[in-house]
Amino acid sequence: MLSTAQLEKIDLLSDTLLYDEAVSFVQRLVRVEHCNPLPTSQVTGLLNIAESFRYDELYRFITHQRDRNWPPSKSDIKTFYSALEQVLSIMMRKRLREEFHLLTERPGGSISEMRQEADALMARLAREFIQHLVAENGLIAAKMEDERRQQRMNRR
Amino acid sequence: MNPEMKIIREVSDQAENFYDDAVKLGDHAADALKAAHRSQMTELENIAESALKSSDIFDYIKKQSARFHYWRQAFAGHSDTKIGFGERLKTYLEKDMAEKLATICKRLDIGNSSDEDKQKRRRIYLMLIRQFIHQMVAEYEYQISPAPAAKKKEA
Repeated sequence: MLSTAQLEKIDLLSDTLLYDEAVSFVQRLVRVEHCNPLPTSQVTGLLNIAESFRYDELYRFITHQRDRNWPPSKSDIKTFYSALEQVLSIMMRKRLREEFHLLTERPGGSISEMRQEADALMARLAREFIQHLVAENGLIAAKMEDERRQQRMNRR
Repeated sequence: MNPEMKIIREVSDQAENFYDDAVKLGDHAADALKAAHRSQMTELENIAESALKSSDIFDYIKKQSARFHYWRQAFAGHSDTKIGFGERLKTYLEKDMAEKLATICKRLDIGNSSDEDKQKRRRIYLMLIRQFIHQMVAEYEYQISPAPAAKKKEA
């Protein structure tokens, strides 16, 4: 169970840090690595799991999607999940404690308690990050579709 | 004057300053959404009122812009006629409004280092966004009501 202070801090991080990072994440994949936006079916699955607040299941889903044997036409999906896994791993291993200062100091606390708290925090942070990236992903996908439609009309 | 009153006064002053911009966005909304999609504006106002994070409002604008072509519709009355309504609103709230927030925080000596100050900034930012959206939706409602059309005919 997370404290009110922890939840308020997550809201703060979401507004001041995770939003911009999620936007940059998607824009980099599309504009720099020339990936297609994540398709709707993938977005729906990812968002549903992120909203269940189970970080272990979310992480399992992401690594499963990353490790699937995607056909060449869908290799962008693999790239997307590889990048997302890296972002979340660094958040879990490093940023949670060193940058976000979200973990409760509990001298003598058990490893299991610490793990539970870290998972609960990561579930919230990951959900925020994924919600922001899904919104940006959808907007970019719609704009690209508009451009394609315009090009088709110009050719006629 | 207590700190809370100071914040309210500053937000009101800024709201006076950005009224004309809200009217322009409201006109764009009326042109793009027409009366047929009035529920979109009502929903936006509800989201802005209930959101705990400014990023939730931005996400909502993006989602609607992705989902509905009319949110991406440009406005002939705007200097850059390629920018859709949603994009224009999002840019205004993210960029222009952030500058107004910085002005208020400077005047009230609210820093940007401690979590306490950052939380204050977030709250003021949300207040500004809500004010702007209220003003914009009011103009939208005015434009889609029969009265302005009748006035134009008379003119």
